[in-house]
Amino acid sequence: MTQTTTETKINPRPLDGIRIVDFTWVRAGPWATRWLGALGAQVIKIEWPLREFGRAGGAAAAPPGITPTLNTGGNFNDTNANKMSLSLNVRSPRGMDIIRRLISVSDAVVENYSASVLENWGLGYEELKKLREDIVYVSMSGFGHSGRHKHYTTFGPSAQALSGMTFASGLPDKPPAGWGWSYLDDSGGMYIAFYTLAALFHRQTTGRGQHVDMGQMIMGATLNGSALLDVTINGRSSTREGYPPGNRAHWPGTPLVSGYRGRTVAPHNSYRTLGGGYNDWCTIACFSDEEWRNLVCLMGSPDWATDAKLATLQGRLQNQEEMDRCIEEWTLTLEKYDLMHKCQAAGVRAMPVQSNEDRAEHDPQLRERGLLREVDHPELGTRRMQNAPFVLSESPARNHRHAPLIGQDNEEIITGILGMSREELVSGYSDGTFWPDSMDLYPYQKELLQ
Amino acid sequence: MTTQNSAGGPFTGVRVLELADEKGQWCGKLLGDLGADVIKIEPPGGESTRTVGPFYQDSFGPERSLSFWHYNTSKRGITLDLASEGGRGLFRQLAAGADLVIESFPPGYMPSLGLGYDDLKELNPRIIVCSITPFGQTGPWRDFLTSDLLHLSVGGQMGSCGYDDVPDAPPIAPGGGQAWHMGGHYACMAITAALIHRGNTGVGQYIDVSVHESCALTTEGAMASWIYNGKTMIRQTGRHAGMTPSAPTQTLCKDGKYVNIQLLAFRLSPAQVRQLGEWMDRYGMADDLLDEKYQDTAVIQEQADHISEAVRSFINNMTRDEVYAGAQEMGFSWGAVRAHDELPDDGQLNDRGFWVQVEHPDLEETFTYPGAAAIWSDSPWGISRRAPLIGEHNEEVLCGELGLSRAALAVLAESGVV
Repeated sequence: MTQTTTETKINPRPLDGIRIVDFTWVRAGPWATRWLGALGAQVIKIEWPLREFGRAGGAAAAPPGITPTLNTGGNFNDTNANKMSLSLNVRSPRGMDIIRRLISVSDAVVENYSASVLENWGLGYEELKKLREDIVYVSMSGFGHSGRHKHYTTFGPSAQALSGMTFASGLPDKPPAGWGWSYLDDSGGMYIAFYTLAALFHRQTTGRGQHVDMGQMIMGATLNGSALLDVTINGRSSTREGYPPGNRAHWPGTPLVSGYRGRTVAPHNSYRTLGGGYNDWCTIACFSDEEWRNLVCLMGSPDWATDAKLATLQGRLQNQEEMDRCIEEWTLTLEKYDLMHKCQAAGVRAMPVQSNEDRAEHDPQLRERGLLREVDHPELGTRRMQNAPFVLSESPARNHRHAPLIGQDNEEIITGILGMSREELVSGYSDGTFWPDSMDLYPYQKELLQ
Repeated sequence: MTTQNSAGGPFTGVRVLELADEKGQWCGKLLGDLGADVIKIEPPGGESTRTVGPFYQDSFGPERSLSFWHYNTSKRGITLDLASEGGRGLFRQLAAGADLVIESFPPGYMPSLGLGYDDLKELNPRIIVCSITPFGQTGPWRDFLTSDLLHLSVGGQMGSCGYDDVPDAPPIAPGGGQAWHMGGHYACMAITAALIHRGNTGVGQYIDVSVHESCALTTEGAMASWIYNGKTMIRQTGRHAGMTPSAPTQTLCKDGKYVNIQLLAFRLSPAQVRQLGEWMDRYGMADDLLDEKYQDTAVIQEQADHISEAVRSFINNMTRDEVYAGAQEMGFSWGAVRAHDELPDDGQLNDRGFWVQVEHPDLEETFTYPGAAAIWSDSPWGISRRAPLIGEHNEEVLCGELGLSRAALAVLAESGVV
């Protein structure tokens, strides 16, 4: 299925009529506003090509065979779907005037800059309120807009380190493995989107706007599960033998206490599977003696498995290393999806480790549910894009547009939404308001000015 | 520290019925702490999540699960046996006056009881029903059994997390129950959108949330790396998995703790190199970073490996917190790798009133709970009460709100309906 910008609306969407001024950058903020766009908001991304971060950097590089420009970043395209782009120098008086006009006709301002950036621009919450009394202002800096470290900054991995999340990932006798990406940018994005929606709902019920002041590190601290209560109530330290327990619920030979991942059971681990490749692993967990018996039966009831010492949870926890070694001898005889099917049919919890390739190409569930659907992009062509993991029966979230080309919507925003004249639009390109003198214009911008 | 706060959040006035285990309890807590009136409906005897550790004073009991305490703040609790007609009847009465039902039963279970969305909307056209299940209501895997670990495996988290410097290490699933968090966050997003939609149109709706899809969406650039570059990911210790290997970021300090640094030396400006050099020089470990030659970006790029090496060896000789504070004061976004038990001493969390005091009247104790991700200027976050005891609000809700007599409640309790 191909979705294009010209697709007509099928259902009303929850945020129809909501306009969001989007000062987000890098990942956490942009990941949030893409969902608000999918839910129907008109999201206007404010960008300046000289201070751009995300369109052309790192993993956002252009795919092979396509010239790297500010408009050809693959990851940027996925992260910034469903938005419009206004290229604008907000550090010029004219640019600031335009921003203030835009905010006065918008419902929300969302940003994830360092704590004092908008304040320094003269766009702190008190100022925003003067432009629009009921504005919703959602910010996510590293440490929030108050407190002794508000001037400190984060990126995903440092926020994860500070919040305790990195420490909770890894093998017990090794350095933390941490997270293999900026989880607190993804989760931060979900929080920003949820909190923006919640503040808009509050405005819908009360008529009042507000400032929602988030800190990425602080938000991360809320995602430690029961570990923090084990600290504050039981006084238990995480710097203890056997923690974190890898993929197990409990590390063999160490005191039997919770690993904060759910029940303390065994087996509960990842095992190599046939092929022996980098991602040829399958995880298996038995949550009851019955599930264990199902697994034993499926393995063909070998002697080691029918040994009475493994019949109880206590015995399986005590003999975990030997048991895991024997289970792996069996899993190595089966391909990981085959293993999953056999286990699930036998009433045993098992799921393969899936790479990005596996999820995109080999996961029939994601395919059936349409997690990836094609959207056209003028320079990247037709590409699969990540869709919402929920179905709303009456007002579905939809990716209705590729990430905008930089400044692609200047005309619609300046002359359409703000009702300024074409002369003002054109002059803004010659005085450095809409584009820096030092950079060439892209063809669509030249076309606009002709 | 801030104290307990009753209501006032953005969801004030929203009545939620929660029929959920670990898949949906986080979603209910997030809404409850933001003001929703969440009634947790447990089976007689209590929800299965009451048997998840750790336990208060390490002593097992359905009222002592710290996991249950954590995930069920700001909720009231009643018990109902939905397998009985009596239980279903009471549930229907509650649903008639509710705004939202969160349920995490296997697909098809609620409709099989006559309590599916189509049944409930007959009673209450404005109702929103949100199902949070491992794979959603449709698809070939919809009936598969899972767990947090299994979701992190199949969702892609383990594909990106692990070690590049530990031989034979498995892919690693980070801890803390993150699969349920991811599902809960997207559920909250969808629910709030549905509430806004209902405010606009008067119409409720059904929401089908898949934990698997929520996890599969939460691996940052991994999916785009495949779609645009056709590359799988290499797991790397303490930092982003990549299509190609990158330099280590997790660095050991002299006190045996780690900092996570982002030091792209080739991108440093001359001013930053000088800053680093001056910092290191205060401890007599500047190496040659104060040399004038580094006031030239070409030299910095050429000498990037040497600069990295000098900074790393400096870090190795400092304590973790010296490195963290020193770097942050200079504007570098480095982070100390901290254990959970270090968080209560964090000055910033305390300045922000992060920790909240929650009373447990039954234990005659007050405990410190983790608090708000954000400060709301007009609709404050707050924990209105500790997690409910089993059936704690049966009388308050079933008699006080549905008008059942105490005698009738006693009969229902006797027959196992509540």
